[in-house]
Amino acid sequence: MDMVAPDDMVETKRELRNEIVENKVEPAMVKDINKTKKKKMVAKTDITGDLNDRIYGIVGHTKHSLSSLLVNPHVFDFEERAAEEKIILVARPHWFTNVSWIIISILLVLAPSLLGFIPIIDDIPARFKTIGVLVWYLITFAYAFENFLSWYFDVYIITDERVIDISFNNLLDKKFSEAKLSMIQDVTSRVSGLGQTMFNYGTVYIQTAAEVAEIQFEMIPNPEKIIKVLQLLRQEEERETLEGRVR
Amino acid sequence: MFPDFTNYLVLVEKIFGIVGSLIYLIFALVIVKQVNTMTRNVRDKFNGILIVFSYIHLVVAILLVFLAWIIL
Repeated sequence: MDMVAPDDMVETKRELRNEIVENKVEPAMVKDINKTKKKKMVAKTDITGDLNDRIYGIVGHTKHSLSSLLVNPHVFDFEERAAEEKIILVARPHWFTNVSWIIISILLVLAPSLLGFIPIIDDIPARFKTIGVLVWYLITFAYAFENFLSWYFDVYIITDERVIDISFNNLLDKKFSEAKLSMIQDVTSRVSGLGQTMFNYGTVYIQTAAEVAEIQFEMIPNPEKIIKVLQLLRQEEERETLEGRVR
Repeated sequence: MFPDFTNYLVLVEKIFGIVGSLIYLIFALVIVKQVNTMTRNVRDKFNGILIVFSYIHLVVAILLVFLAWIIL
């Protein structure tokens, strides 16, 4: 279970002190107010802890930075995160989507040694061979590196407030889309093709009433689990609205 | 008598080599910039390693320019 944050306690104490000074509250009443506020905070952390357990129950404990699904990550963060916003889940495309570029990269690495068997290569001067091999390996590295960057930094984030899609389409293009959990209207998923069916990954389509009409979580593993997590968080969001706990 | 084009060919090769390697150097600089932007936007465990890789790539691209200048 999560502990009450020290900052919250300091804030509570400060509020109480202000109430005493401004409203001349009796010391006996201070204890009651303190108890009530503590109870409220403990209740809130109970709900958060319970929610965490339920999400772990759905998705499991995956925290490795190279994992396609990260639940309650400790290290992960993003620039647009609000101070109080808590990251619930981070999703990247399934590892199987990387297989094609990994195979191509391996073939590109091996290609210069295979070219040695072609007699015409022997006629090329040594200085051109040296530069050619260096350029070849640089381009191979750049190809593999770019593909890895695309996979690593194209992330789909679910926080306790919103769903976010951060994608870098090419070298100089960044796209940031978000929708509040309360704005989500409809969630559907699609798993199609042999690879997706075998490895259980696909695309989750999140229809929203926000400015961005649809957010897509593309090629993510276990789409049905993501839908369950979103359902759970939407229910929690609705409960917060009813109880007046909305930030 | 045929004029000797060998020297001109060597010069053209050298110019192509240097211009090509300079273009690649610009590409390597763009990758460094891109990795910095990405790591600033999304912070995760391997960001440091990725930045180091992008700079190693840049250093090798600079070496390529010198090699093209010296060898070709």
